[in-house]
Parts: sequence; structure tokens; C-alpha cells
Amino acid sequence: MIGESVPMLDSLARVTGTLDYMINLRLPNMLVGKIVRSQSPHAKLLKVDITNALQVPGVIAILTGADLGANAFYGAGIKDQGVVAVDRVRYVGEPIAAIAAESLDAAEEAELLIDIEYDELPAVFDAQAAIQAGAPTLHEKFPNNIFKHAKLRHGDLDVAFAEADEIFEDTFTSPPAQQASLEPHVSAAQWDGERLTIWTASQAPFMVRKTLSEIFGIAPEAVRVIVPPLGGGYGGKGHIRIEPLAAAMARKTNGRPVKFALSRAEEFVTVTKHAASITLKTGVKRDGTFTARQVTLYWNGGAYADASPLLVPAGMVRSVGPYRIPAVHVDSYGIYTNLPPAGAYRGAMSSQTTWAYESQMDIIARKMGWDPLEFRMKNLFVSGDRFATGEELRDVHFVECLEASAKGLGAPSSPALLPEGEGKRGRGYGVMMKSTVATSKSQARLKLTDDGMVTLFTSTVEMGQGGHTTMAQITAEALGVPLSAIKIIGPDTAITPFDSTTSASRSTSMMGNAVVAACGSMRKKLFELSAPLLETPPDQLRTKNGFVVANETSISFGDILKRNNLNELNEAGEYSTSLGLDPETGQGVSTPHWHQGAGAAEVKVDTETGRVTILRYSAASFAGRVVNPRMAQLQNDGNVIFGLGPALMEEIVFDGGQPTNPNLADYSIPSIRDIPVELTSICIESDEGEMHGIGEMTLPPVAPAIANAIEDAIGVRIKDLPITAEKILRALREKSQP
Amino acid sequence: MILNVNGSRHEVQEGTRTLLEVLRDDLGLVGTKEGCGVGMCGACTVLVDGRPISGCLILAEQVVGKEILTVEGLEKNGQLHPIQQAFIDERAFQCAYCTPGFILSTAALLNENPNPSEDEIREYLSGNLCRCGSYQNILKAVLRAHQRV
Repeated sequence: MIGESVPMLDSLARVTGTLDYMINLRLPNMLVGKIVRSQSPHAKLLKVDITNALQVPGVIAILTGADLGANAFYGAGIKDQGVVAVDRVRYVGEPIAAIAAESLDAAEEAELLIDIEYDELPAVFDAQAAIQAGAPTLHEKFPNNIFKHAKLRHGDLDVAFAEADEIFEDTFTSPPAQQASLEPHVSAAQWDGERLTIWTASQAPFMVRKTLSEIFGIAPEAVRVIVPPLGGGYGGKGHIRIEPLAAAMARKTNGRPVKFALSRAEEFVTVTKHAASITLKTGVKRDGTFTARQVTLYWNGGAYADASPLLVPAGMVRSVGPYRIPAVHVDSYGIYTNLPPAGAYRGAMSSQTTWAYESQMDIIARKMGWDPLEFRMKNLFVSGDRFATGEELRDVHFVECLEASAKGLGAPSSPALLPEGEGKRGRGYGVMMKSTVATSKSQARLKLTDDGMVTLFTSTVEMGQGGHTTMAQITAEALGVPLSAIKIIGPDTAITPFDSTTSASRSTSMMGNAVVAACGSMRKKLFELSAPLLETPPDQLRTKNGFVVANETSISFGDILKRNNLNELNEAGEYSTSLGLDPETGQGVSTPHWHQGAGAAEVKVDTETGRVTILRYSAASFAGRVVNPRMAQLQNDGNVIFGLGPALMEEIVFDGGQPTNPNLADYSIPSIRDIPVELTSICIESDEGEMHGIGEMTLPPVAPAIANAIEDAIGVRIKDLPITAEKILRALREKSQP
Repeated sequence: MILNVNGSRHEVQEGTRTLLEVLRDDLGLVGTKEGCGVGMCGACTVLVDGRPISGCLILAEQVVGKEILTVEGLEKNGQLHPIQQAFIDERAFQCAYCTPGFILSTAALLNENPNPSEDEIREYLSGNLCRCGSYQNILKAVLRAHQRV
């Protein structure tokens, strides 16, 4: 059960190609949806004329801003994004209209006939340029384009910097990137009177339900959200994307369903990873301890706030790092620009912040003459320490994670020096510390039928992480039934109970605990019902393998129901946390537990070409208690491999707001040839045995570990992701010709 | 026109459509996936006369008279193909959107080279992308499969 490496429950469907992804959905009378997008980064819409487009045979309806009511705006915290643009567009690719047609050909023909007139406005693409006086304003409510400013104030910074022997100030940057799940965003919607059903590839079905109920002014229960297994999410499907547009389009088709499936190019203008510029000012003493840190983060949120009002404060917490620093101040700014909206990207915000603080660790260590590994070990948080938010840290294992990573790398390669012409070898390390969602709730429902079968109703989204298999294993152990007796249903908001979201590696912990609670209630009920039959008091009973067991007798779950004339038993469980920080000081409790991971890299740098080869990589994450060891290790390994993308190759290049590489030919993601020659990883467990998610922990350390290894190898420091061969060669040239 | 798919003849409408579209939309063979639409990700890999081809890059009419194999054609008598079994045994997938393409590329590789080295596997499978990052287990699955095929 827990601790067993069972294969994913639906493995057969996964290798036979029969898993029912959204893209396969076909409904009777279904129409094809097509989005008409802005070609301007910032303009007033003078005209959107659909007269001719409506004449195209096969076109059923066209949605424009004129159809929208006053509530047709959405966003997490700031409702600034229209279902389609109303009178103004703010990025290239923003939906202006949508077409529902009998065929894609008809929709594409109609698209050409929609007459759009723009009145161009000045545009701004860089976050720090957008906050300068005189920069164009995107939303009148935020004249300086700063839509979120999260603050953390801990200790007296001036005093603490005055105590430092050395002060380091460095800026690290990350470009916009794309989550690039191989399955694109796909949503289908159908209205039946005032009831809406939406099928969507989303990580957050209940967020979709709430948003749609608000937009259309109907009860949440009138919106049914069904989520099939996802072909990857990585945060890109973590908030509202095309669901409002699909639902608004379907409102105009007389009850016929409409399905939208985005092209790869559309993916690049639908959601991105926040470009970030992060400045760290850090004071250290000669004894190797810290006195102070000041962090300033500029997050490029794109044209709409989207999830950023939640992510910018999370990025604040995630920017400090896993080290004891007495005084910490952080200013985290979410900024509008005329780029596509930004959202979570696997290891949300930590991918950018860990790049910054772990790179600076090596800069400091090298300048001060300290060993980077020892410097980290000396300062890493241990349980009982207090974080910059004031909260006490418990069950933290950063030291073990880093030790395990370093150990996994093995003895230094021999010989240390490569033969002439084969480049230079170096080692580097990275540690990450990440919060999960502070306030969230998970509910689970269990149904036991008189044939002994158990159905778990859960809104955890299966997106390849093995969430459903994990929940089945937890059920099997907590209820005492064989795995083969368990069936999982969901997410379907009409029948599966509430869950905040499948993101931030929260499901194993939050939904896992809800499942444990539901199993506890079910066992209690079974004990009550079987006690008379077994002539044993309830408190002396236990469950095993689908039976309630007394000292010498036992009875199957199914027979307990039959003997009590019951067809089924239903029990529910819930787990929630309600935490948070003071908005002015950033003091409070930021997370129910901490995400902890580390990585160690050995690289080879070809000084002629700038090419970096990852010879060995060793990663560790803290898992508390591992539910499925082989799947957990696959998550660990997968995070490292995913992390090679932002570290070495991924960047969306915009030219005047237009993405120039929105395809998988010009935007590279790691292939099997890019993976480390040797890759190992482990999950660390603790005696407390609290189950943690591990969907992100080994990703953020990858980029800084590689950059640190490169400096170890060739003595140059790259501060701007991705670490390309060109940047390395340029740095080598600058070093040799100062 | 007639297409030979997984050992059966299928009459399909003529027209300039990609093999991927015809397989998915006309024949309902939805195991083959579109990932990028430009032949870079390998999610739509099918075998044409034993060679791996991106279904999104080739027109259906170009493969008339050839033998097309999709993931649906791998099982024999309800038994998984050894490569499919090896992918399960080695946990060589997460979201699995890329898996049919990887399995078919592996089938083509093992046809051409029954005993590939790790480097040869990396080279051959470099046209199939897995965003979840399951490559290490995919390598193991291919090594396991070649012992069985």
C-alpha cells in the first residue's frame, strides 16, 4: 500500500494510447471553436465587424466584446481580463473574437473576413521600463503599472547591514518561458438553459466553476466542470484560461457544444513563465554568517494580472532562501506590460528566485574564500529556527537534502583535469526552499458498496503526476482494503467534492489527509455495524484486506453491509489550512509545510564552443513519507530534466510584443540527448512521517547548480538565464580581455 | 482512396489532409497525438512501412499503398507488445501524451537495430519529446524491451 511502487492504475491506457484526454472528446452536434487574436500589442479597438464572416457557410455564431455583460471579467484577485477584448487590446494574441463553426476550415475562412481596426497605442514590454514615469499605462486603475506590491519587513536592515564585513549586491534575470505541456489547452462548453457543462484540461476545476458562475450570474451548482486526465500541466493549466471564452461562445450556439483546442503557437500567447529581475543585497560577516538581506523582485506579469496577485506574494516568501539571516526585507512587485499574461511554471516563482539566491551563495563564498558547500551547510535552516516571516520551522531537512545530493555526485571525477581540448570540469550546488498554498481545502468522499468495492470521489486532477494512484494507495492503507477494490472518480464538480487546486505539490498532503479522514470515518462506521456481528466492542476491532477483524473472527466489508440490509455506505473527509501573512510586514505563517530540495551538478564546459555537458547530476527532495517510491523518484528525475530547459535553453523571444519563436522548432525543450550522462535522485523521509508532495522540489536548484559548476570549471559567472553557449563564450572573452 | 492501417484496409475521403488528421478524425485512432504540428515533438509518430514518420508532416494520400502502424496496432490477441509492457515495467511515462510516439519510435529502432547501445537509443529517440522528463526510464524501457522483442 503506502510505500509500494505499484504502477499507475491506468498504465494500460497510457501505453495503448486509449487514455481519454480532452483532445479526444467528441460530443453530439459538437462545433469547432476558433479564437481570433490581436495582432497589436496595445491598441484601441475601433471596429470589430463580423458581418461578412457570419455569411460563411458552416459558421454558426461569432462572439465579440459586444456580447459581453459587465461581469465578463476575471482574474485571481484583480478582475481585469475580459472574456474577449471589449474596446482595447493589450498584447499580441489577446482574444478579440471567437468563431463557432461546423468545421475548422469554415472557422478559418470566417476569421479572414472579420474586419478589425486598431488605433495603436504606445506599448511597453520590459517590467522595469513599465514602472518609469511616462511609460504607457495598461490599466487606468494602476497608473504606474504596479498591480501588486508584496512586502516583508523583518528586523532593522540598516543596523544589520552596518554589522556586515562585506555587502554583496547582484542582479539575476530570467526570461519569459512557456510551460509547454504536450497537450495544449482544450476546453468544450455546452449550455442547457441556464445550466452550463464545461469539459476542460484544467488543474483547478472548482476555480473554473466559481469564475464561470460569477461571469454568467448563475449558481455555482449550475456549472458542471469535468476534467479528464491531463497531458501535462506544470502550472500552465493552474488558473482560468480559455474556459470563460468557451462558455461565452457556447451561449450563442443554441445548446450545441463548442470545443476549443489551442495550437502550439496559441499556447505561447496564452500563458507564460514570469520574466523576472531579482536584486539581492546581502551582508555577511567574516565568520561566515549572514547579517542582512534585501531582495527586490520585478515580475513581468504581462497584460493581465491573472494568477499574479497570488504568485507575487508567494514569490516574496520564496525569494529569501533556506539560510539563517537575522534581518530581511523584501519588495516583490507585479507589473503590467504588453506581453501575454504570466502564470505558474513548475516550481512557481522558485525557479526564478532560487536561481538568484543560490547563484549569489557561490559569488559570496568565492569572494570570501569559503568552500561553497561548507558555507551552505553552516547557514542552512534546521528545525526550530525561525524564518523571515517569524514562523518557526519544523520538520526541515535542508542539510540532509544537500548532503545527499553532494554524496550522490560521488568522488570527484578522475582525472580532475580533462585532456587538452576536452574542456574543463566543475561542480556546483543548489538548495531550494518553497512554500505551498497557505489557505486551501480538500474534501474526499468514499462510497462502499455491498460487493466490497470502494469508490473514492476526489477532485484531484490526474495530470501524469500519479495523483489518483497515490490517493488509491492512501485509501488502501487507511481503510484496510486491497488496491484492486478501489475505483477513483473525478474531477466532476457535479459528483466529486471540493478541492482548491491540483498545484503547488499540495495534493499528496492536503487531499491525502482528506482521504485519510474519510477512511477514518468509514472504519468507525464499519466497526459500529460489525461489533454486534462479531460480538466484540468497536474499539477492539481493526480492518485488514477488506475485512473487519476481531480476535478470532472476521467479516468482509460487503457482508457487514448485507447483514445490516445496506446497499452502500458513504463517508466524507476534509482537510484544510487557513494561514497567511500580514500584508504590510509579511509576518505570520506562510505555509503548512516547506518544500525542500537540493541538487549537485558536475559539468564539462567546452571553452572553444561554450557548450555545457552535464556529466553527473544528483538530486534530493524531502518527501516526509513516500507513498510510491518509483513514481516519486520519477518526479524527482523529471524535475531535474524539466529544469534543464529554463537553465540552458528556454526563452520566448518577443519582438515588439510579437513572439518570434512560438513553436517547438525554435523554442527548445530538453530532449533525451540533453539529459545528464548520469542522473540520480532520492527522496528523504522523516520520522514524523507526514506525506509531502514532491512535484517541484528538485527543479529550482538545477539552474544555479549548473551556473555554480560552470564558474567552478572556467571562472565565469552567468547571471542571466538561460545559460547559452553564446553567453559563456562572451563571458570568457570578457574575462580574457578585461 | 484506401489506406492500410494496422493490417486493415480503410476507405477514406480524398483531400489534402495530413495522415494525423485522417487517423484521428476519420478512423478514430486517437492514440496518435498532435504535440507541435511541425514535426518536432514526435507525439504523432506512426510507422509507415516500418519507418517512423511524423503524421502531422505527411499527407494521407502520400501513404496510399503503404503499411501504416499506429499504437492501436501493437497489441496482438489482447497481449501488450513487449515494448508496451517494458514501458509499464520501467515506469517510462507520466502524463503519457508522448508515449505512443515513443513506443512506435522504439519499435522502429529495434527493427533496424535489435541490440542498440545507450548512445544509439539517445540518438534515435531524440526526435520524441517528453515534457514530464521521463527520459531516464524510457532509456531503461528500451533496453529492457530489446531483450524481449
